[in-house]
Amino acid sequence: MNGSNRLAGLKARPKDTTVEEVRRVDEVGEARGFLDRTPRKKPGRKPSPRTYQLHPKVFPKVGEAIAAEAERLGVTQGQLIEILWEKYEGSH
Amino acid sequence: MPVIVMASPKGGVGKSTCAVILASQFARMGADVTVLDCDPNKSLTRWASHGAPSGVTLKSDVGRSEIVPTIRSADGDGKIVIVDLEGVASQLVSRAISQADLVIVPMQPTALDAEIGSEALALVREEEEALGRSIRHAVVLTKTSAAVKSRVQKELEEQLSGAGIDVIEPSLVARAAFSELFAYGGDLTAMMNDPEMVTGGKVDKALANAQAFAEAVYERLK
Repeated sequence: MNGSNRLAGLKARPKDTTVEEVRRVDEVGEARGFLDRTPRKKPGRKPSPRTYQLHPKVFPKVGEAIAAEAERLGVTQGQLIEILWEKYEGSH
Repeated sequence: MPVIVMASPKGGVGKSTCAVILASQFARMGADVTVLDCDPNKSLTRWASHGAPSGVTLKSDVGRSEIVPTIRSADGDGKIVIVDLEGVASQLVSRAISQADLVIVPMQPTALDAEIGSEALALVREEEEALGRSIRHAVVLTKTSAAVKSRVQKELEEQLSGAGIDVIEPSLVARAAFSELFAYGGDLTAMMNDPEMVTGGKVDKALANAQAFAEAVYERLK
């Protein structure tokens, strides 16, 4: 097999792809069991994006620092606050 | 330039292998080949991740709603589009067939493959009727024995020919090198020239088989 010139001579046949044509193709396929098998999206509301804000009154910098420290320790922010609370109680 | 669609509702018949062989052989001939990986198993994407041959462009994650516009945008002067489909009966398959200049239905020489593969052939014929134009289609037998043609293969070839179905010669022989393409990426020529690639098979025989197969497909695109 040699020669790109041979391939250059290959032509695609024109195919009108109207909405009507696609509908007919779908109908023919469905009749033979070729169905729409597109995976359905997961139902329900998507989770809100994380803001890393602990409370509206907590300054973003403090919230981010707590989030970063929790991530570094491999615990949740809630667990980190529990640790901090223990220390707070211990100091009073 | 032509659009070649690999179609069979059965999995594991060799659609992706055929697609890789044709893409790499046509690219070697100097064509600009676009391969559409519509299979969620992403066999072609895995192959290309190891290094697609020069001249081959891969597009992944092409779904039912994107298939027609994607084929149309990939099609153009000096380009060959090869579509690899999932082994399932879906609207994605029927839509891709409607855009084909050649539908190749790979089949292993077994009764089960023939029975399920015939669904694709029937669908092509029904689409031809619905669209009022012919869609060229052919069967290629895959994973055949290099040593001897089995009785089942002979009977299947006779049945297909008797039904007026175009059967591509040569068949694709079961070769380790064809499977190894997905592990190493690239093409058979590169595989043959790289002593570090260990295939455990005869790469030269696989290459000769691939070239003859691509030549047979080329003849059907003229």
